[in-house]
Amino acid sequence: MEKVLLRNIGVTDSHSLAVYQSRGGYQSWEKVVRNMKPAELIEEVKSSGLRGRGGAGFPTGMKWSFVPKDSPKPKYLVCNADESEPGTFKDRLLIEQDPHAIIEGTLIAAFAIQSHTAFIYIRGELVAGSKILERAVEEDCRAGYIGKNIFGSNYDLDVIVHRGAGAYICGEETALLSSLEGGRGWPKVKPPFPATHGLFGCPTVVNNVETLAALPWILERGAAAYAAMGTEKSKGTKLFSVSGHITRPGVYELEMGYPFKKFLEEDCGGVANGRKLKGVIPGGGSMPVLRPEELEKVNLDYESVQAAGSMLGSGGVIVMDDTTCMVRAASNIARFYAHESCGQCSPCREGCHWMEKIFHRIEHGEGQTGDLDLILNISGNIMGNTICPFGDAAAMPAAAFIRKFRDEFEAHIAEKRCTVSTQ
Amino acid sequence: MALEFSPEALKQFEATVARYPKKEAAMLPVLYLAQKEFGHLGPEAIAYVARLMEQSPARVQGVVSFYTMYNVKPIGRHHIQVCRTLSCALGGAEKITALIKKQLGIEPGQTTADGRFTLSEVECLASCGTAPMMQVNDEYYEGLTEEKLTAILDSLK
Amino acid sequence: MDPVKITIDGKEVVTAKGKTVIQAAAEAGVAIPHYCYHSKLSIAGNCRMCLVEIEKMPKLQIACNTQVAEGMGVLTQSPKVLAVRKAVLEFLLINHPVDCPICDQAGECQLQNYYMEHNREASRFEVGKQHDRKKTIFGPNVIFDGERCIKCTRCVRFCQEITKTDELAVINRGDHSTIALFNDQVLDNPLSANVVDICPVGALTDRDFRFKVRVWYLQKTPSVCPGCSTGCNISVEAYQNRIARFKPRINEAVNSHWICDEGRYCFHELTGGERLTTPMIRQEGGLVPATWENALQAVLAGLRSAKAAAGILSGRSTNEETFLFAKLMKKLAPSSPLEVCYQERELSETQKVLMSPDRAPNFRGARDMGVGSNGGYESLLQKLLTGDFSAAYVVGEELIGANGAGERLRAALQKLSFLVVQDIRLSETAKLAHVVLPATHFGEKEGTYTNRKGRVQKLNAAVIAPESVLQDWQTFLRLLDLAGEKLSYSTPSQIFQALAGEVALYRGISYATIGDQGIQLGGGGVEQS
Repeated sequence: MEKVLLRNIGVTDSHSLAVYQSRGGYQSWEKVVRNMKPAELIEEVKSSGLRGRGGAGFPTGMKWSFVPKDSPKPKYLVCNADESEPGTFKDRLLIEQDPHAIIEGTLIAAFAIQSHTAFIYIRGELVAGSKILERAVEEDCRAGYIGKNIFGSNYDLDVIVHRGAGAYICGEETALLSSLEGGRGWPKVKPPFPATHGLFGCPTVVNNVETLAALPWILERGAAAYAAMGTEKSKGTKLFSVSGHITRPGVYELEMGYPFKKFLEEDCGGVANGRKLKGVIPGGGSMPVLRPEELEKVNLDYESVQAAGSMLGSGGVIVMDDTTCMVRAASNIARFYAHESCGQCSPCREGCHWMEKIFHRIEHGEGQTGDLDLILNISGNIMGNTICPFGDAAAMPAAAFIRKFRDEFEAHIAEKRCTVSTQ
Repeated sequence: MALEFSPEALKQFEATVARYPKKEAAMLPVLYLAQKEFGHLGPEAIAYVARLMEQSPARVQGVVSFYTMYNVKPIGRHHIQVCRTLSCALGGAEKITALIKKQLGIEPGQTTADGRFTLSEVECLASCGTAPMMQVNDEYYEGLTEEKLTAILDSLK
Repeated sequence: MDPVKITIDGKEVVTAKGKTVIQAAAEAGVAIPHYCYHSKLSIAGNCRMCLVEIEKMPKLQIACNTQVAEGMGVLTQSPKVLAVRKAVLEFLLINHPVDCPICDQAGECQLQNYYMEHNREASRFEVGKQHDRKKTIFGPNVIFDGERCIKCTRCVRFCQEITKTDELAVINRGDHSTIALFNDQVLDNPLSANVVDICPVGALTDRDFRFKVRVWYLQKTPSVCPGCSTGCNISVEAYQNRIARFKPRINEAVNSHWICDEGRYCFHELTGGERLTTPMIRQEGGLVPATWENALQAVLAGLRSAKAAAGILSGRSTNEETFLFAKLMKKLAPSSPLEVCYQERELSETQKVLMSPDRAPNFRGARDMGVGSNGGYESLLQKLLTGDFSAAYVVGEELIGANGAGERLRAALQKLSFLVVQDIRLSETAKLAHVVLPATHFGEKEGTYTNRKGRVQKLNAAVIAPESVLQDWQTFLRLLDLAGEKLSYSTPSQIFQALAGEVALYRGISYATIGDQGIQLGGGGVEQS
């Protein structure tokens, strides 16, 4: 498989403009500005089949096409670098080691929607990453890739690196926009949608780091080359962040559709320390856990994982061996969501903390019969009834842990302690 | 004593505001600037920022209190933030926190008496592959072991 | 208006493009439960109580933010909707304190109401409730209970969008979210207590009304605020014949949903103190109780024989009373100038949202009835001070206040050879009178006020005056009768009918056409000063 996203990783000084340029960097950007019209750029990306890599998987070209072309308002392009999904660290790798790929992708996306101001919203904790991005943007300004009359055209573009301040919810695009407007990271009610009413009520597109980083390659090699990889509905390649009880944790790039079991056992070296696999989360902390026997037919693409009852999400693969107490794991994730709930809407604000408290109680030997069905019921009451998908993200894993490992939960409740040997 | 930006900080403030299409968008970076200047964002700092940003202090308070990285109270020189989310938990984060608690004699949320360290447990820092790990001020310390941890703590004066 | 046809629970409803489902439903008489939605505030969409089923849409949608579309099918009572309402209520109740026995909101609480309608189940919550600040004073009129708060943010949006004072904010995150003021700031903007009205639960309650009376004991009477000439529509709510509180009544032509704090609490000042229950006549030792017969004869004698008399009417007198007063004075002292008390003050920008710069709710009505003119009150006071009058009839106004000019007025009034004062209490002015007549206050009156913009609105009696006290219009009628002009009116409605016949502007108007929303004179709202 040819690397699209990790092609510059491992090269000395890959973060510098000089190295990036020596490897063909910004040729796509120049081609776009000099030779392409926004409409054909959007068509090209549509044909590539590129889908959003932040977790939602929405077709990127289609998202761009929702921006009204003749709106008199300024248009904004935002690169979502707020990576905070548990188990996910692929964007950070790109930010620190291939920032120019991200920036070039950001520029291309901005051009597609004719935006003249692009933001890179990076989570506040990634201080080193934000400095690297700022330096890269400065290099680009000096080189004339960013600024006024780029490549002698009449296209101007400014890029602002903007640090968040610690809130997972700001990875949700409308919460990100609320934060970028200088406020609390509160998701906005939809409709209207960001494409028509986004940042300051202006047409806005928010794209994930990984999505944008694929654009230079796609423009260089062509949509067809990208679409030739992957499956029918999940084109191209994707980054997978692998962590937990695995021999070789790290970021991997795979062609969409790669068999999940093979990936874990061969590429990642299998469960660490010769232990047995107990469960694996395929797409970040918000996605339902899968039992080992469920992996048999699962391939790493959107459709296959969904058919298995989970979701590809951010591709954050969390591996759990047979020493893992699933009650503890579920409690950990529940606490994460309770901590990160923005608190705006009632099902999430109250429900997440309720679930956290019940899980905690079970974990600490005070569980009651009825607690499990209660959590399932609460989860069902949150799903689909909130302002934003955070509610679903909290509800899904809670229900999945219980459904997939019910015996263990019931034993934990009955014995008032963990019945699995923990680390 | 009313808090105010130094002339350099004021210049930085103006430059920051000028970057954004609307003044209010500069709120987060301005709050970082104020936190750097004043140490933490107490009521005086918030009132000052509110004045500069032409917003009500209640609104600014709402913003400050939403995000984890703004400190409304003073903290130690070195803010130890140990990640506790699933991958790090699977990787032994609890042990790391227990070690720090033992070595420094403080609980999460507390600061050592000499003002050197503050300990917090935080959520996923996007470093899951090198668990367990922690962030101290701006730096990430990954793949922690007991030895590494002790060395790091010793080095932080 | 672009008509749009939708169905709500199977019934066809014709609404208009641009309306939301919750608006269209309300206009069709279908109430969709909600907390955070308010017709005068921006859409928040956070309570999730108004989730409804829209045919062909897989997820439930919030009615407050869903635009109507041709052919849309809305279900407000489907099993899915009823289930989600139960669920939302459960979520709101898990951290809610069971304060009902001590909470002022009981009886008008939307949490109670919707729970009884849509849930009624016992709590499944057995882990510790989240705690927050209780009985926290926000301002002179508002007290906050953080545990009762459901974070609907109506109060925050009110201060952002209506008063634009922005004192309240949501702070913290998740289920630690709460409403707060900054540091030691105070919620004291001129419209602050409106947040109590819009708070669906007992999180924001009125300090003045705190623990006074259970709301289901209140007798509610629609009326008009006597605070100023804006004429905010109110509900006067009384218990055991005493006014307990004002609540605003919705009138989009006047005050929308609001009332200012000054108006809201003005009933204390306007009805308090020891009531005059009997007429009084000055004799050698001072004022002594007298019969109505004797007192009224004394008034007649005193005014008829006066060389130069003046009539001063309170701005709170009704049109009916003013109409009769003008007739009376014309009969008794034809050349006497008549003025309605009218003084202006500076208003802040926030006050101007609602308030008028005066304290004379019916100055315009009075002028329409022939009492008062532009600048007339000031010049009449001047004449009084310079001793131009030998007699005066003062109705319902304390002229001698705490300020300096008041004392000069005292001296001037003392020099009058005849002073009759008609008021609810023995005011400082009344103490100087030769005849004192007990009167009624606005809460005991039935009648009309004409507001600054020329809208005629109806006052209704919310409480009953003491038995021995006559309505002001009854006093004027009796005096007219004794003076030889017998008018056969026995109700304010009849008096209004008469004035509508005599005052051109009021032709064709009656209590029936005034209704409870009032009626605009001349069809246009021209503001007078």
